[in-house]
Amino acid sequence: MNSKKSEQIVISVCTGTGGVAAGGYKVIDAFEACLRDSGLSAEYTPRTHKVGCRGFCAKDVLVDVAMNGQTATYQFVTPERVEKIVAEHIIGGEPVKKWLVKQDYHDFHSKQQKLVLANCGRIDPESIDEYIASDGYQAVRKALKMDPEKIITVIKESGLKGRGGGGFLTGIKWESCRRAKGDIKYVLCNADEGDPGAFMDRSVVEGNPHLVIEGMIIGAYAIGSTEGYVYIRAEYPLAVNRLRLALDEAREKNFLGENIFGTDFNFDIKVVLGAGAFVCGESTALMTSIEDKAGEPRPKYVHTTDRGLWGKPSNLNNVETWANVPMIIEKGAKWYTGIGSETSKGTKIFSLVGKINNTGLVEVPMGIPLRDIIYSIGGGIPKKKEFKAVQTGGPSGGCIPASHLDMPVDYESLYEAGSMMGSGGMIVLDEDTCMVDMSKYFLDFCKDEGCGQCTPCREGVAQMVRLLVEITEGKGTMDHIGILEELSGMIKETSLCGLGKSAPNPVLSTLQYFRDEYEAHIIEKRCPAGVCKALTTFTIDEEKCTGCTLCARNCQAGAIFGEKKEVHFIDQDKCVKCRICYEKCKFNAVQKG
Amino acid sequence: MAAMITLTINGKTVKAPEGTTVLEAATDAGIYIPTICHHPALEPEGTCRLCIVEVSGSLRQGIRVSCIQEVKKGLVVETETEQINKQRRLILELLLGRSPDTPYLIDLAAKYGVTTSRFLTGESNDCVLCGRCVRVCRDEIGAYALCFANRGSARKITTDFERLSEYCIGCGSCAQVCPTGAIQVEDRGDQRKIYTWDQVLARFKLERCDHCGTPFAPKKYLELINKKAYQPKGLELVDYVCPECFKKRDRVSGRRQAAALRKSVVKWSVPR
Repeated sequence: MNSKKSEQIVISVCTGTGGVAAGGYKVIDAFEACLRDSGLSAEYTPRTHKVGCRGFCAKDVLVDVAMNGQTATYQFVTPERVEKIVAEHIIGGEPVKKWLVKQDYHDFHSKQQKLVLANCGRIDPESIDEYIASDGYQAVRKALKMDPEKIITVIKESGLKGRGGGGFLTGIKWESCRRAKGDIKYVLCNADEGDPGAFMDRSVVEGNPHLVIEGMIIGAYAIGSTEGYVYIRAEYPLAVNRLRLALDEAREKNFLGENIFGTDFNFDIKVVLGAGAFVCGESTALMTSIEDKAGEPRPKYVHTTDRGLWGKPSNLNNVETWANVPMIIEKGAKWYTGIGSETSKGTKIFSLVGKINNTGLVEVPMGIPLRDIIYSIGGGIPKKKEFKAVQTGGPSGGCIPASHLDMPVDYESLYEAGSMMGSGGMIVLDEDTCMVDMSKYFLDFCKDEGCGQCTPCREGVAQMVRLLVEITEGKGTMDHIGILEELSGMIKETSLCGLGKSAPNPVLSTLQYFRDEYEAHIIEKRCPAGVCKALTTFTIDEEKCTGCTLCARNCQAGAIFGEKKEVHFIDQDKCVKCRICYEKCKFNAVQKG
Repeated sequence: MAAMITLTINGKTVKAPEGTTVLEAATDAGIYIPTICHHPALEPEGTCRLCIVEVSGSLRQGIRVSCIQEVKKGLVVETETEQINKQRRLILELLLGRSPDTPYLIDLAAKYGVTTSRFLTGESNDCVLCGRCVRVCRDEIGAYALCFANRGSARKITTDFERLSEYCIGCGSCAQVCPTGAIQVEDRGDQRKIYTWDQVLARFKLERCDHCGTPFAPKKYLELINKKAYQPKGLELVDYVCPECFKKRDRVSGRRQAAALRKSVVKWSVPR
């Protein structure tokens, strides 16, 4: 024991969704029990500390042990490992090296620039005092002394764009809502994150809910609103609980309510649980949903900043947009414009998922090359497979192929490449992904998740799905591509809301970059990636097969035969094309074609 | 009197009061724009997308739905450009895919040269999901008996929990506004049935006329008329008089009541 007597030992355990799912709370309990038994408490006051998500969910439970002025991070911590960590590290002073994070953890973080996520994974999301201790609620104090017009000018100058997908300039939106005539105005926060594979907003609300609240107070003051709503997915119970707790704490401190921060400004925030529909993330649908009606979009010929929730001027921003506001007020527009690319300022959070080594949440400056995200931060593609494309922007987005790996990631470049920023989903696809199949997946998602009001989206998308299914089943003709393009154009031009207008994007962008794959399905009746079952057969290469029996033992259909140390073969009548043999074979003897 | 706005539709100068929609202005000027979901008695919802027009001039050039877009000074509207008709034909073809045997739709599609559909869904459903019935029931009658169920392509029109509606008052407005005849009202003896292709929405016993004894209207409907038309004027509907007998009664006092009840003899069901 070499620590000084007064030093405090802090054990920070990740309790974001990933952390909790991996057993974060059990790890905390184990640490507490272990520390109690060790009898250290009186002398060294070690304490456990729950923190939000720091992004690297693939390595959960992550635990930081801070002592002697140094922090060591452990990965994959389980309650069973706790005893050894306490005995060797906390008591013995020597970290348990084999369980510490490896180089990939540092690589994952080194190219990131954490501004919005700065305190996620560092402070306890369930404690307002910790947020205040890390300079929280300073920006709002500053803002409340400023002229509202001045705040809007700062936001405008910062160039902050909506992080929810639209990319509209936040300052301009605030200004038009401020200028709109109305006795009551609303500020709304969209936390109805529904893109498949996206968890940016969830992590911010779970990891640092006060940041969002602070942003909303500043926005409300600037716009002249006294009432706010957070529309949050009911499927995010942890985020909902932490948000509610944070609101209660803020009310207790009079940061919300009447005469907040000792000024004559009144503002409070209500939480509305989402109705479980993807389309409710669309601005007008979100508002109708708050009004207790079916969450269906309305035609937007009058802006919601003029006539939104209950017909009143309403300003809707996404979680991440609100979370950007406090730092802009605190550090100024000039500082903020120094980060990011020429046209897109600040940072953007992406959820990096799919065929990537380092799955997780990353925050990078705008304009960072795509290659850096995939290879430096993401650690490349698993199993040495080849990178094929990255799907950005969720179901409404598109694919960026390997040829565009060096393009900067910002609103404009993504749009030019035929995709979009969206809310920040980034799904990495490798050579084993069939682009037709992927388009089918996203279109099918939109088919089920659209509201069904307008004809182009309801009938058109359903027909596109039917055509794509036919192509993947080998029943496609070249006419199918033509009809797909025809429908895409019509749906984009005539749909009622943003969901419909962007629903054909996955098809259009894959047609742009991977037309050959569509043609292979149609003309050669072959799925190049070996995904579409009707067009794929698996065979065993006699030269390469060593007769290790691994494939036969794993085949659930009992379709693989062969004696030990002899060449195996696949009974095509029994094969269900589950790909397990292909994935399992260590000698690349299973061929798809 | 609202200020008059001057705009151009298909090269023709049109004047329309402020606040009217492009569709209304065009219709008044004798210019036809196809639409399914629009009905003059209902708030526009802009969902069938057939009434798309190309706008320019005082609005950024693009496609808008004319049933929602209000007239604007200096607006230039084109209702039948090649692009608009191309998209319209595709929308009609899609609708024809789900309702290939619906005379109303066959006629409308034929106007734009669409006679067959590449998008047959394998079923034949008269409902084109225009939502007129839902809107009339909800916004005009206030009964909230009809609603949309499900999302996306599974959307359909039904009652709460797909059961016989408790809220339906049997007025038949849904059938009256339905463009395709997907909702039907059938009176047999003193029984009224309101039904669609796959569901009976509501059943009623018809009240008999106090004078001639003919069954003519459901009680809930008469109660609504009492509440909406009589009570605000300090009156009370005490005796049930069928529209036929109404005509024979004191015409001066009966005129107002007759007007209120006339709805019940309108042939609301579009013949299939």
